[in-house]
Amino acid sequence: MFTRFEEFAASSMLGQQDSPPRSQGRLHFSQDWQRSLFGLALALSKEGHFEWEAFRQNLIGSIAHWEQLPCGEQPSWDYYERFLEALLKVLEAHSLLDAHELEQRLTAFSYLAGNTHTQLA
Amino acid sequence: MSKLFEYEKQREAASAAKVRALEALLIEKGVIGSDSVDTVLGHFETVAGPFNGARIVARAWVDAEYKARLLADTPKAIAELNLAQGMDGAEGEHMLAVANSPQVHNLIICTLCSCYPWPILGLPPYWYKDPVFRARGVREPRAVLREFGVPVSEDVEVAVWDSSAQIRWFVVPERPAGSDHLSEEQLAALVTPESMMGVALVHLPAA
Repeated sequence: MFTRFEEFAASSMLGQQDSPPRSQGRLHFSQDWQRSLFGLALALSKEGHFEWEAFRQNLIGSIAHWEQLPCGEQPSWDYYERFLEALLKVLEAHSLLDAHELEQRLTAFSYLAGNTHTQLA
Repeated sequence: MSKLFEYEKQREAASAAKVRALEALLIEKGVIGSDSVDTVLGHFETVAGPFNGARIVARAWVDAEYKARLLADTPKAIAELNLAQGMDGAEGEHMLAVANSPQVHNLIICTLCSCYPWPILGLPPYWYKDPVFRARGVREPRAVLREFGVPVSEDVEVAVWDSSAQIRWFVVPERPAGSDHLSEEQLAALVTPESMMGVALVHLPAA
């Protein structure tokens, strides 16, 4: 029995289709955004915004979808890209965020990045 | 640079931007706090993980009396080290340490479930839940150890310990020869989770 949500959540994935990459007893993130993403999903569920199992089922679905893509259309395997897709779905399903809001924010980010670039140039 | 490589970089950058935007939006909307992400990750990074086991083993290597206390009453000896609070939750209860020696090599398996002392070993490797590993670990532990690159000679006893919800075992591996000059902290850096499961030995880094 796990008394800590973090351990319950990670444990429920181990040995399953959605098992996260790990190395030497630790979660393995090859990029910072992967670490933030894992933490976001965990924090959201820990704070009660959705059941961890609901997220996991989305993740398993996203992985299955990737597996079924024809080779020519299949992007190379990236666990955390599937993880991101699953988290966006669960956020939308729970009315926590819609795709439009995220798109708007991304546009604002690229606008800011463009401005910074102009200032530096 | 190949087009494919360029494409992978763009994918990474797009995912990174999305996650950054997502986190910022959720914090702004008050869905999560600004420190929520670091708090949950902190559990794996600083509270419960193989770094705790490594500290316990390194202390046992430098202090024979501590080692004796660890083998006699494991939870009490672990408590002496003032490890992070929260690492002694349910998964850390009923832990028992067994020490490797020239006479005995210990192997930890779990035949019924995946009871694993997370607070000191961290996340179990993918093969730990594999029924083949569990079954062969009981039936032919020497063959399994050989495949892990740990040949155990016939005159050394192999002891197999079955972790359960009642007792969660871990191994105090043998201190590597020629490590007398290393500090306790340097020694801890050599200890891997696999060595504390008995499927690896601890080696000095190649000079």
